[in-house]
Order: sequence, then structure tokens, then C-alpha cells
Amino acid sequence: MDFLVASFGSALRLIASLAPDLVDAVRTSLAVSAGATVFAALVGVPLGLLVGTTEFPLKRAAVTVLNSLMAVPTVVVGLFVYGFISRQGPLGALGLLFTPTAIVIGGTLLAAPIVANYAMASARGADTRIIPTALTLGAGRLRAAGALVAEIRFGILAAVIAGFGRVVSEVGVAMMLGGNIRGYTRTMTTAIALETSKGEFAFGMALGIVLMMVALFVNLFLNVLQRN
Amino acid sequence: MYRLHAIRKRYGTKTVLEIDSLTIAAGRLYTLTGPNGAGKSTLLGILAFLSPPTEGEVYYAGQRVDWDRGSVENRRRKVTLLHQSPYLFGGTVRANVAFGLNARRIKGKEQRRIVDEALDTVGLRGFGERKARELSGGEAQRVALARALALKPDVLLLDEPLANIDRESATVLETVIASLPARGTTVVMTTHDPDHPARLNGESIVLDGGRVVVPAP
Repeated sequence: MDFLVASFGSALRLIASLAPDLVDAVRTSLAVSAGATVFAALVGVPLGLLVGTTEFPLKRAAVTVLNSLMAVPTVVVGLFVYGFISRQGPLGALGLLFTPTAIVIGGTLLAAPIVANYAMASARGADTRIIPTALTLGAGRLRAAGALVAEIRFGILAAVIAGFGRVVSEVGVAMMLGGNIRGYTRTMTTAIALETSKGEFAFGMALGIVLMMVALFVNLFLNVLQRN
Repeated sequence: MYRLHAIRKRYGTKTVLEIDSLTIAAGRLYTLTGPNGAGKSTLLGILAFLSPPTEGEVYYAGQRVDWDRGSVENRRRKVTLLHQSPYLFGGTVRANVAFGLNARRIKGKEQRRIVDEALDTVGLRGFGERKARELSGGEAQRVALARALALKPDVLLLDEPLANIDRESATVLETVIASLPARGTTVVMTTHDPDHPARLNGESIVLDGGRVVVPAP
């Protein structure tokens, strides 16, 4: 017990002193997660809205695939992207492996299904009169879609935040594609795994506390949006 | 304004509308009556260019409607449908009334003038900055009518606009609706009230089982 209390105290001191390694990991985590979330939103939101508001053959199969993609383990996504960007892979010449860009690519693939599913659920739950009302007032399809997005904006924002939550807390993609390089691709989660294995439990705990605070903040924000 | 020929509308194997011939003249008011399931709303959907018939031809302003995206979007700018339970977008009353004007790129002072005029017409002067979602049912229906009137449509289609609203709002809406043909607007309105055709100085079309049983004179 003493060990835990002492480690917790050390962790708080590390956070308070803004230890450079800790700040680096937090900064890298937030940057790659934000990047992946932006790309995931650009892909996932339109995809979710399209599937949620239109009827097409094999729609049920498409929804099942989208749902299933949410459960894909992060290491499988890491493995898949690794196959493409490793030196022998088709995109190996781009030199993306073990760079923040590689983590962003993997994170995008992880978050996009989550964003798409949340956006799809929002669109399905939206008032069915929104699109016909916009159309009958002379809006084109794009403006009508814009009206729908405006009406379900909190659901869309919740979708994007859920995507961010998925990326910031994962370790498989960041480890396999980023390589855990200090000051470059070391994220909060990979740093926790590494430092703990080295016996630097207090450092790992400090990052764990920051990560929990980020997750808590994201979920609080999500709850506020869902109440709206 | 409209001429319908051999119209059929089917959902799966069920035929919900079967109209051999129907003409709706410009600048007149028609009431569309009939029991629930008679096909009134389906017919309004076709007249609003929201849903094409399964078979048959619709002529609008003398031209055959092809139902391709471009021509349908153009025609929707001349025809406005007001639902029985209209949807008001989140935001202010002004933003709602301005929605169709924005789609037509009418902005600034001109937009403000039109919105104020439309709200004035339905007796809601000064309601512009109120939140649309905080209005009573009758007020919401009047805002929806103002939103339609702001577009100065050639045709206004109304799906039971006077059902389930307060007496004051119903009186205002009736007066405004009855005045529209004199301004050149063709009105087609569904109703369950048998007195409406006479009260609104309109002509009656009766539907039953998807067929026109009493055509307009």
C-alpha cells in the first residue's frame, strides 16, 4: 500500500513540475489524436449520414459491417497499416513507419467507424420531417443535408468526441506504427507501457492520471451534449 | 396549374392512389376531403414534387413533369407544402421564416423586410427573435405558414393546417388562406371539416380509397 501511496505522490509531483518527458508524451498524444479525429470525422460523418438517411440494397449488411468495425482490436488495425507502410509494403517508399503520421493513419481507421456509427444513430433518430421540410422550402439536396446536420449537431459532435476518446486511449496502433520514440512518437499510452515495464511506476501513474483526466473531460463533455 | 392523368401510386403491392384524371386550375382554392387513408397526403406529396407517382403523368403549368432531380428542384421552388404538424428548425422564428429565402439567396435588408411582412400577415409581428421551439402549437403553425408565404409560392399545399390548433390561430390562418387565391396563389388544402369549402370560398375534391369520388367542378 505504501508503494502505491508513494507512487501517487511522486506522480502528482511529476505532473505539477511539468516534467519534459511527460509534457512531450501528452503533447504527442493530443496532437496525433486530434489529427486522427479530424480525418475520421471527414470520413465518418458523411458516411454515417449517408447510411442513416438513405435506403439502398444491402443496407443492413453495410450497417452490420460498420458496427463490426467498431470492435476491431487496435493491434489488428496496427498490423494492417504496418503491412502497407513498412519498408516492404506498397507504401514503404513514403517512409511513414514510426512517424506521428503513421499513428494518425491508424487512429483514423480506428475512429472512423465509431464516428460513422454515432453519426448514423443520430441521423436515424432525427425528426423525419427535417429533410422533407427543407426540400419543400426549395432547398437542394446539399442544403437539406446541411439542415439535417444543423439539427443533429450535438449528436455529430458527440460522434467526433467518441472518436477522439477511442484514439487517445489506444495503445496498439501507437506502439506498432509509432515505435514509441522518445520526444517524437511516444504517446501517453505507449509511455505508460514502457515506463511501467522499466520500473518507473510513478511516471506511468502520472501519465495514467493525465489520461484519465482527458477521458473524464471527454466523457463529461459527451454527457452534457447528450443531455442537449 | 396541374393536370394529372392515369396516376397510380403503389407502396409494394398496395395501390394507395388511383386517379384517372384531375385538373387543378391556377389561382383557385381547393379543399381535399376524404376519410383517413383516402390518399390525401399521398396526393399532396405528388403535387409538392416530393414523391413521384408509380405510374401516370403529371403536367404542371402546361409542362409534363419528368421527375428528374433538376426539374423537380426547380418546381419545388414554386410549390410549398405545409404539413399538419410542421417542423420548425431550432433557432429563432426569423431564422425559420428565412430558411427558404436563404435557399433562394435572398439576404440582408430584403430578407428582413419579407420576413417581417410574412410574420405580420399571420399576426405574429414582433415574434422574430423568439425561439421557435418555445411557441404554442397554433403559433408554430402560423410561423410555418409565414415561412411558406415568404416564398410567394405559385402553389401552396396545406395538410390539415387547421387541425388541433387554438381558435385564434385557426381564425387567422383561415383568413390568410382564403385571401391567397386573390393574390394569384393556387391553394390545395386537406381538411376533415365539411364546412371549409363554403367558408373558404373554395371548391371541393373528395377522395375515397385512393380514387376521386367527387371531382372539382
